[in-house]
Amino acid sequence: MPNQGETLLRVEHLCQYFGKNKAVDDVSFEVKKGEVFGLVGESGCGKTTTGRSIIKLYDITSGNIYFRNERIAAGTLSYKKNMLEAKKKFQEEKKALEAAGGADSKKKIAEKKAALDKYLAEQKEQIKFAVKDHKRRRVVTEIQMIFQDPISSLDPRMTVGDIIAEGLVIRGEKDKQKINKKVYEALEMVGLVREHAGRYPHEFSGGQRQRIGVARAVVMNPELIIADEPVSALDVSIQAQVINLLDDLREKMGLTIIFVAHDLSVVKYYSDRIGVMYFGKMVELADSDELFKHPLHPYTRSLLSAIPMPDPEYEKQRQRITYVPLKEHDYSVDLPSLREVSPGHFVHCNDMEFKKIQETLAKEA
Amino acid sequence: MEKKLSVKNLVISFRTPAGKVQAVRNISFDLHKGETLAIVGESGSGKSVTSKAILGILAGNSIVEGGSIVYDGMDLLKVGEDEFYRIRGDKIAMIFQDPLSSLNPIMRIGKQLTEAMLLKGKARQKSSKEAFNTTLAQLEKAMIESLADAKSGKNAADMTELCKKFDKFEFKQIELEQAYKEAYEAALEAVDAVKDVLFHIEKNAFEKDEKETISEIIRLSKGTKNTYVVSDDAAKLDQLLAEVKSVFSAEMKEKQNRTFTRTANTLKEIQNILEKALEKQEPDFFSMGCYVAFSGKEVPKDMPVEKLNEMMRKYADETLINEFRQCAKAGLAHNVKKYNGLKKEALQVLRANRDVFTAENLDRKACEAAADTMTKAVEASIDRLEIHKDGVAYVFGVSIKSDLNNYFEGIEKNKAAAKKHVKQQKKYDSLVKKGKQPSWKVTPSTAVDLDAAKQTTIDLVDRMIAHYEEVVAAGVEKDFDKATDDLIVFFKENASGVVNKVTKSMAKYKALKLMEEVGITDVRRRYRQYPFEFSGGMRQRIVIAIALAANPDILICDEPTTALDVTIQAQILELINKLKRERNLSIIFITHDLGVVANMADRIAVMYAGKIVEYGNCEEVFYEPAHPYTWALLSAMPDVETNERLESIPGTPPNMIYPPVGDAFADRNKYALKIDFEMQPPMFKISDTHSAATWLLHPDAPKVELPKIITERIARMKTKGGNYNA
Repeated sequence: MPNQGETLLRVEHLCQYFGKNKAVDDVSFEVKKGEVFGLVGESGCGKTTTGRSIIKLYDITSGNIYFRNERIAAGTLSYKKNMLEAKKKFQEEKKALEAAGGADSKKKIAEKKAALDKYLAEQKEQIKFAVKDHKRRRVVTEIQMIFQDPISSLDPRMTVGDIIAEGLVIRGEKDKQKINKKVYEALEMVGLVREHAGRYPHEFSGGQRQRIGVARAVVMNPELIIADEPVSALDVSIQAQVINLLDDLREKMGLTIIFVAHDLSVVKYYSDRIGVMYFGKMVELADSDELFKHPLHPYTRSLLSAIPMPDPEYEKQRQRITYVPLKEHDYSVDLPSLREVSPGHFVHCNDMEFKKIQETLAKEA
Repeated sequence: MEKKLSVKNLVISFRTPAGKVQAVRNISFDLHKGETLAIVGESGSGKSVTSKAILGILAGNSIVEGGSIVYDGMDLLKVGEDEFYRIRGDKIAMIFQDPLSSLNPIMRIGKQLTEAMLLKGKARQKSSKEAFNTTLAQLEKAMIESLADAKSGKNAADMTELCKKFDKFEFKQIELEQAYKEAYEAALEAVDAVKDVLFHIEKNAFEKDEKETISEIIRLSKGTKNTYVVSDDAAKLDQLLAEVKSVFSAEMKEKQNRTFTRTANTLKEIQNILEKALEKQEPDFFSMGCYVAFSGKEVPKDMPVEKLNEMMRKYADETLINEFRQCAKAGLAHNVKKYNGLKKEALQVLRANRDVFTAENLDRKACEAAADTMTKAVEASIDRLEIHKDGVAYVFGVSIKSDLNNYFEGIEKNKAAAKKHVKQQKKYDSLVKKGKQPSWKVTPSTAVDLDAAKQTTIDLVDRMIAHYEEVVAAGVEKDFDKATDDLIVFFKENASGVVNKVTKSMAKYKALKLMEEVGITDVRRRYRQYPFEFSGGMRQRIVIAIALAANPDILICDEPTTALDVTIQAQILELINKLKRERNLSIIFITHDLGVVANMADRIAVMYAGKIVEYGNCEEVFYEPAHPYTWALLSAMPDVETNERLESIPGTPPNMIYPPVGDAFADRNKYALKIDFEMQPPMFKISDTHSAATWLLHPDAPKVELPKIITERIARMKTKGGNYNA
């Protein structure tokens, strides 16, 4: 069970734009030490991008990511925006003052200009810090990733031993014996045997390949593992094996895991807290039991209604809810944001919706 | 229910450098009309191989060792590539797993949709012509023969004349109907396009390709001129079309405040004319064809459709139809009687020759001779005028020949294999003696099971005998009026198949309709796009539309939703279900996820290591699963209420180069009995529809309870019903 106290990873206003495409837009969440944090959403909603931004596979556009209270990644767009806005504001004020005229106007303008310059300098300093923090590499080796497709994520021309040792070598480990020892340990930890180190990935089945992917991650002795759809390419029977393996490792090594998947039943089974994403936004975030008991955002409800169950009678009665954002929300006046509606339960909503949710919650209580 | 496809004792292996891999080991199932059969199993259980065998697209290194797949009187394992060309895509279509790799990235969606239609058009024409001619010839023969039964004063030449006339007028009818249909469909499509443009004008969302749509409207509207579609208003329509072109280009040039009011008004007028035309009643082309062909007169122009129909019908009945109907009916009755007699004879031949195959040592020559006489007798007794083909009789000849071949070639093969095995073993032993441990294993000699091969032959004959006994017992009484009607419908269908030419514009129209049917919006724009412009779910919809293009009987879905996420998966499943209901399709649904099929399947076959281990109705498999493998599959899936540790299935499926002696699942099965490792379990029947291959069902076996996780889930679901927030 999660250790409630310590925050391991904090993501603040993360934005990741690819040109005009806002893949991730203003996402914030915290991951506590020892917990499993699930990220769900349909394909293209930005959950993988979030994971990849955290291990700095991309340079993020804006926002901050803190790992053990240390900033590991930062974007500069927000500061630049601030500067632009400040300049614009200054110009407007200047115009207004000039129009008003009077003796003070020149003095006032000079005052404003000085304030603006100070603000701009501050922001520039922030950008400098952000770039400096972003360039630090070390800490990233403590965050590891497991990829979705066990076939394409393993180099077919490297032996399994080399694949697992690669991270260690890059980190600067030179002692061959030490490396081998660590590789064997990792292999045994994921349920493979030493002999497998000399083989090539194509000699393994899908489930075994995913185990190799897990071994590659755990050999670095990470604090945090980002598992990007680790089971969606596997058969049902093998899925259970890999999930059980991750569960064992979590207990043994005290790992924290961010579990990205689109299969809600798996996420529910495995995660302590779940964040639901839709088109780059985090629309709902809550404890997993709470989320399934009280889904508050209409998109979450539509997602839950789409889960197929191994029960014919139930399936015949199941009604799927479709989510049409334009019909559900009216955000023309009042812009939405992620708000806490009950302790630990966040929903992306505007003032009106917030009130409504509060009312329904009060009624239920 | 009508049986659509029947797979019997199918055995398929693959030749690999390491040895022979047995992919499918003796499976049998039936597919009925309008039902969904789900095949569930892990990767490598042989479910995809089975579906590929049905479509005849097995890999080059595959060996079909035995069995039959009967569809429409043909054994799909034995028909040639020419024949398959008519079946594949046309009668049996497939949806593949990955929508990205099953579409061509550099071809527009529209072209991919119409490609198959255009390609198939010619082949269909040819096969329709063949069917029409041969059936008509058969009918003629039957009619002439039936003259002897009743003294009606007609002679053989009359009958020939009658058939010739029928032939002639049938084609005239189709020609007329075709012209009408083309005009009618063009009108339909034009109205659609007009509505499109009007909608865009109204919403002020004018797009670049609107000009193209307008010229399409003009082209289509010009094709609507037909006596029974746009006739009186043809001149006015022409004028309007000329107007809309000039008006549109004029209004296009107005840079500011473009409202297109004049274009809209003209288009509305065009729409009115077309809609009026569409409301007209369809004339009876069957009778009209007759009138045009034989009266030598033109069809009167200014007559209301109802009156016209009456007149035509009267004329047709008097000159030809009544007589033809009567004679055809007599011919059919005669045929049934005659072939029933022949079937009785065939039955005797079958019974007399059966013993040849049951002898201890079969003699090749005697067997082949017996098979020959049997085949001849059976073939002679097939009534070719029957529209619903008798599958068992049609494939009998080919099947018995290949079964015998299997047996006799098996004898030779076994000798060679045994020799090879002994040689290998010797080498292995000598190496071991020298103190070396070779890295390779001795491949077990892959012997053809001669007893089984013999039994298949005997079974085949027995099946044939039982089938004919049934048919003969049913007697010669039938509803011949209905049979005659069916026959005439059959002729009509094939005649229209001959005349029906699939033109590019027709294919496009059909493709657009299909795209709408599978739930794609804004089809005109989508039609011109490339696959990369579609999302995953949309791509899968396109793949489904392509599969449906030829209006198949059977749809094989090979993991159609595995690559998609939950919401899209739910949409695609709903779509497949909807199409199944509307088109009365038979579906084979292949997946590894039992959760997906609960809503889809009527029946479920669970496969493991090339065998069907459990087979039953959907409810039976989910509520009373009997095989430990089904238990394991059900309990390996977490659902939203699962909290306890998942029951994963330990290990991996067995290597099928060295198939285990006993139950293939025994190694991974915690309920395995001792006998599971020694002997393969037979299929135990639980109910009429439900059976499973596990020794646990044997009367002597210890009682084993269902795993807790499953019983709990069933109980929980029962209380919950379909409501989430309850």
